Amino acid sequence: MPDTVKEKSPARRRPRRSNEQAARLSPDVELAVGAAGAELRAATKGEFQGSLKALLRDELAGLDAERRTEVVAELAASKIVAEHPSLELSGSLYEIREVLRERLPACAVDARQPAGLAVEQILSIDERSFWISGWMHDEDGEGVVTVVSPEGARVEVTKTAYRFERPDVVQFYAALRGNPTRNHGFTAFFELPAPSLLTDGWIAELRTSDGVAVEIRCPAVVSGSLAIRATILGELGNRGPVGGELAAGHGRHALTRLQERIVEDSEVDSIDVYGEPPSSPEVSVVIPLYKRLDFIEHQFLQFSTDPDFAAAELVYVLDSVEQKDELAMKMRELFTLYGLPFKVVNLTAGAGFAGANRHGINASVAPQLLLLNSDVIPDRPGWLTAMRGFYASQEGIGALGPKLLYEDDSLQHAGLYFHRAPGAELWENAHCFKGLHRDFPAANVARPVPAVTAACMLVDRDRYEEVGGLPLHYVQGDYEDSELCLRLAEAGYENWYLPLVELYHLEGQSYGADTRRIPSEYNMWLHSEIWGARIEELMADFSVNPGTER
Amino acid sequence: MSDLRVLYVAHNHPTLHPGGAEAYSLELYEAMRSQPGVEPVLLARIGSNVARRRVAHPGTPFSTVNDDPNQYFVFTETDHFDFFTLTSRDKNLYSRHLTDFLLAQQPDVVHLQHTHFIGVDLLSQIRRVLPDAAIVYTLHEFLPICNHHGQMVRTFADELCSEASPRRCNECFPEISPQSFFLRERFVKGHFANVDRFLAPSAQLMDKYLDWGIGSERIEVEEYGRLSPTRRAGDPAQVKSPANIGFFGQLSHFKGAEVMMEAMAMVDPDVDAHLWLNGANLELQTQEFQEEFARLQEGLRGRVTFRGPYEHSELPKLMEDLHWALIPSIWWENSPLVIQEAFFHRRPIICSDIGGMAEKVRDGVDGLHFRGGDPVSLARTIERATTNPRLWRSLRDGIRDPYPMDAHVSRLLDLYGETIEQRKGVAVSA
Repeated sequence: MPDTVKEKSPARRRPRRSNEQAARLSPDVELAVGAAGAELRAATKGEFQGSLKALLRDELAGLDAERRTEVVAELAASKIVAEHPSLELSGSLYEIREVLRERLPACAVDARQPAGLAVEQILSIDERSFWISGWMHDEDGEGVVTVVSPEGARVEVTKTAYRFERPDVVQFYAALRGNPTRNHGFTAFFELPAPSLLTDGWIAELRTSDGVAVEIRCPAVVSGSLAIRATILGELGNRGPVGGELAAGHGRHALTRLQERIVEDSEVDSIDVYGEPPSSPEVSVVIPLYKRLDFIEHQFLQFSTDPDFAAAELVYVLDSVEQKDELAMKMRELFTLYGLPFKVVNLTAGAGFAGANRHGINASVAPQLLLLNSDVIPDRPGWLTAMRGFYASQEGIGALGPKLLYEDDSLQHAGLYFHRAPGAELWENAHCFKGLHRDFPAANVARPVPAVTAACMLVDRDRYEEVGGLPLHYVQGDYEDSELCLRLAEAGYENWYLPLVELYHLEGQSYGADTRRIPSEYNMWLHSEIWGARIEELMADFSVNPGTER
Repeated sequence: MSDLRVLYVAHNHPTLHPGGAEAYSLELYEAMRSQPGVEPVLLARIGSNVARRRVAHPGTPFSTVNDDPNQYFVFTETDHFDFFTLTSRDKNLYSRHLTDFLLAQQPDVVHLQHTHFIGVDLLSQIRRVLPDAAIVYTLHEFLPICNHHGQMVRTFADELCSEASPRRCNECFPEISPQSFFLRERFVKGHFANVDRFLAPSAQLMDKYLDWGIGSERIEVEEYGRLSPTRRAGDPAQVKSPANIGFFGQLSHFKGAEVMMEAMAMVDPDVDAHLWLNGANLELQTQEFQEEFARLQEGLRGRVTFRGPYEHSELPKLMEDLHWALIPSIWWENSPLVIQEAFFHRRPIICSDIGGMAEKVRDGVDGLHFRGGDPVSLARTIERATTNPRLWRSLRDGIRDPYPMDAHVSRLLDLYGETIEQRKGVAVSA
């Protein structure tokens, strides 16, 4: 526990009244029962600690059912549970819940019964937020489902849940009763007032409008950020368009939190410094590495013969952490061969594209940032100076992106814009002049563009930080760079395309198209959800082909 | 005045497939490029059936061909092409990618050499995106009319067909309803309505499109123009016995492969005649055809030599030893490029007496006709030709130079100009 909490706790301690009884729930927390009722508070160092069982039996078991339910819920929601969470405290709270709670009849899933309830999964997004899926059946669809955490916290999930048709449930009940088109299925993201640490012991209750009340035991809570993320994305994909009501009401909250957790769970493990990087570099070149390490050598050769790199700090971040040893061996060889100094940031766990960049940027010092993919190979030396020169020559540039080429000299990047098919709601990222020849005249004009790719992007560190940098909430890439550019645009900067600097971008598809479908659709939806209005404004002023109507 | 921007769309590129039509497309593009005031762009289709490449770059079907900034490939999935309706199932190809390309390139004229594997929908999309652009379409075979590989040959007994209709087409394809043929025709014609000018390299081909319903005001005959080869093949070493006959092109049923093999088997054993096969794509033919061809070839070891595929640039050398070129096709053909190539090198032609062959080769003047599809007639013609050096000389002297590229280019530029003017009229009156 942090020291600050320990120092504060004595001040909050209230004097013990004589008629009060207490029992220790964990080293930090005790249950006190007195005239004012039951409460959790910081543990006192006293000898008055009685047994919890006796306390519950003597003081609380006699209350009426409704009051006992309230007491359990109030205790579980106590602020001190959030301040001193522990498995021991959770275990004690579970014990309290089991002694005091009013048991409802167990729900039998039977087509002849008026009420049916099933919880198929509870996913732990973090200790306080969860994702639940299941179905419920009653006579009129007005029934209320409440989940009870092992610690006793109560959340009514039907209030906010996304409801959908379950053909299997409809079929099961259709023969006997009810309106067969009702939405039996429910899925919800919900949050608890205090952390829940136990995986077993969740209960769900159903109360129908005509007074039937039943309960079931829920399956054990599932945790593990990556697996949960896949499950939630799968559910989004199975319920109509990925960017629908479920995403807006539930998926977005869950996935945003999960993305944050994935980055939180990734820490810097070590920073290996090769040679002596410049002490006050003008620009930090930050290169996240994921899986493909074979490009590094080709890129590094170009850097080593480019005088610009004397004033540049070169920072690699390894996002595919399992390749740590392989990378270290490779980088030692490259350093021996070329003598160009650089740093390698090793992480404890993968952080994703935005997260890896964030670690790399935090480990770098220069006032300007050049974000670079490892599969971008300069066409000729001098590109860093040319980009920095242009950045300085123009007032108020946000992100600056150069011309990027495929191996056959066709354009990979000449600025990004946003495209929305007629009648479509969502904007997608599009590349100006993609596939046309590098000498195509209209692609050889420097101009402000709605966005540029982060495959190679120059931005002032201050401006980058002012807008919060690359966002973490996208799942496996796609829209981080355009959101960064939109944030910069919103802060009043202009993003520019610079064709006189040319690099090759050997863009490949590192994921199978099919596994990427749902994340891509989700990302596209989230991007439009957040930035739709801003994009509409930007696109009203932008023409892909200047001089024509589009 | 800014340059005239002409976009050429072709279904293939000579770097992928060394065919005559492909060579012509590139030659035309290059000839236009050397014209002052003209900026041509060539867009050639690429796909898994012509190149080993299976994917395009992510996010775009376009890629460059070489250092020339005005030559492009457009990648389309072979599987996405609907051969019956002549459209791509990937509508995004038109609504998104080709639209972006047209808007970026802003051509004044789009001259289509073909829409195969791209789809006729492109025609409507050009009109929507570029209302003022002139659309010119060169017809190469009868694909828009005929579902039988665009050959206008009935599926039974190789009978030549001169008229398509839902009823007759259903006779050829009993498993496809007349209603489907009706819709096919309406669909293709619906997109063809956007074409300002059709070009037919032969009169017989134009006639069939006139019969099909293309208005005479929208179509004209314009032969393929060709560049003169860098080297003209000399006369064969000996002409006393003009025995060497050359076949050039695909060895397929419609090209008359069996007819010529059967004919060679019937040629009088005392006559010195030898057939040299310069061709490719035997492996693409049906198993049945390949077996039949092998069987025919087996009995003709001393008479027929298979020389395999060739590059277009090898033609002068391949022509060198030959006296005759043979075109035994059993379909109408359009204007076979082999005719022009043989005439460049002063080789008289023995050909079927039908369609584009009968039109372009004058019987008894610069070649000899035989009854199309009839091996006996071909055998007798070969006997007559190979034993008659005087006839050979007189036919050779009757050969005229083929239609030169210069004249072709100048006619096309006039036509582009006229069509652009016409469109302005349309735009004003609309």
